[in-house]
Amino acid sequence: MSEYDSMKALHNSLPPFQPLISVALLPYIALILLASTFTLAFYISTIPKTTIPGKEIPLAITASILGGFGVVALFCTVGVYV
Amino acid sequence: MLRLSNAISCVLVALAAAASSSASSQPFENSAIVRTIDLGGSLVHVTTTFALKALKDAVNVYTITLTEEEIFNTSWLEVNVKGKQHPLTITYSGAPAGSKFHNLDVNLETPLDAGATLNLVLETVQTHATWPWPKEAAQDEKQSLKYETSLFVLSPYNTSVQRTKLKSSSPGILSYTTPDNVQAFTLESPVTKSGATVTYGPYNNIPSSATPEFLARYQQPVVLHYNYDYPVLEVLSLKRAAEISHWGANLNIQDDIVLHNAGPQLKGHFSRLQHQTQSFYGRGAPHVLPLFTVQLPPGIRNTYYIDQIGNVSTSRLRVAPSVARGSKNTQNSIMELKPRYPIMGGWNYTYTLGWDASLGDSGSYNSKTGKYIVSVPVMTEFPGAVVNDAELSIILPEGATDVDYVAPFPALSNDVSTHVTYLDTIGRPMVTFKYKNLTNKHAKPIYVSYRVPITAHLRKPMAVATVLLTLFTFAMVARRVDLTIHKTSTKKM
Repeated sequence: MSEYDSMKALHNSLPPFQPLISVALLPYIALILLASTFTLAFYISTIPKTTIPGKEIPLAITASILGGFGVVALFCTVGVYV
Repeated sequence: MLRLSNAISCVLVALAAAASSSASSQPFENSAIVRTIDLGGSLVHVTTTFALKALKDAVNVYTITLTEEEIFNTSWLEVNVKGKQHPLTITYSGAPAGSKFHNLDVNLETPLDAGATLNLVLETVQTHATWPWPKEAAQDEKQSLKYETSLFVLSPYNTSVQRTKLKSSSPGILSYTTPDNVQAFTLESPVTKSGATVTYGPYNNIPSSATPEFLARYQQPVVLHYNYDYPVLEVLSLKRAAEISHWGANLNIQDDIVLHNAGPQLKGHFSRLQHQTQSFYGRGAPHVLPLFTVQLPPGIRNTYYIDQIGNVSTSRLRVAPSVARGSKNTQNSIMELKPRYPIMGGWNYTYTLGWDASLGDSGSYNSKTGKYIVSVPVMTEFPGAVVNDAELSIILPEGATDVDYVAPFPALSNDVSTHVTYLDTIGRPMVTFKYKNLTNKHAKPIYVSYRVPITAHLRKPMAVATVLLTLFTFAMVARRVDLTIHKTSTKKM
């Protein structure tokens, strides 16, 4: 029982949980990141075709990473807290 | 605090006999025992006050005896020194061979010397101790319940005076048992009724009663038949899922509840017309439940009340403002739930109630150990209802390690498994607790602590990024595949 009380006291004395990115900013972050992802995807589709996609691959990787964070932010914005 | 549930029956193997019953070697004597029984619907509160006097020096273990029926029905038990908050430690010291009672040893914190007096208060909550009588009632009839207990409070020590008071919430007491064969203890009327209280006692000079001879000779059941003006509610099953999200800084709690009206069964069929007439004139029958109120934590949002058909719109929510963790909470959010149909006696209603709360209200971070601590309440208190089967699942973020928890009372079983939901790759650890017969005294939080490295946080965006990269790669390959139909030159023959 005293272990429970000491855990309760510890929990009340510690600082509250803070996320890495503030939740209020998440809708705007989602919008910006997803817009960038779509813009980059359109640009990639306009690059002339070469045998080795030298310009397309780094752009695709950037777009994927931006899209990954954007989708997670989008999920949190609409209420599915992943 | 020791919580006794139906699982105690496995401990009912005869153990070694407890304290001897010889009068001259008894360490204590009871000056007075007063037992007050507050009769409710499915919950009955029993408060027993022992005014004890020590007869020897340096005694610090006091034995309380409970009958077998009391032990089977008790779901929550606590012993305090009267006026103090801190509960005393209790150990179960077994049932003497062939007896129908059980002994609990209370550890008094400071030993008493001969002649010292002390008041101990034993508080218990009994569940499933009342039953409706008559078993069936029509839509407009009253509701009455019966409660059975034993006449005497047992004790291994001599008692100077003892009384039992049964308090009903309404003055309508239909009948009560008149005990016989108590001339040895009282010359006046053995039972008196005054308003809504029935008093058995005072009984004087009771010898050590925790013996089979006393039980066979004097102990008898007393049954009280009383009117009860509120619906008797039982939650047949409560499944609570608490999902912790670090990306959204959110704690989602979802309750799947099967509610049962444990009052008298409805006699005849349900007449909507009669029900509307009754509610219009304010003459609702006491065993009908048209709506009920639950208190939810403050600062919640996105509350949903749904059942199998869909959203139930007949509900009202007043959200209380959020309070900082640790400071005293004065106001809870109030949710009025009106089921799709009034719950008559014997009827069930299944629904789901859930809400989101900011994780800062219930979560904290210990930078010294690098662990997060989150407090999750075991259940939301149901007004006057017992929860027959409860299951609490705490779903931690993906990649949580070093999971540990501190619970206010032991669970019947603990389980750790993996739960897979949106955007998960390796799944989330889920800790499941199972309980039986929870009461309003069990609505306390469990503290879970865990560690989540930053790399575990990045799993989700990287999972989505991998899928997108696969799509881009497919597109890059596809646009280089030539699918046009070429014109083959035909040689002129």
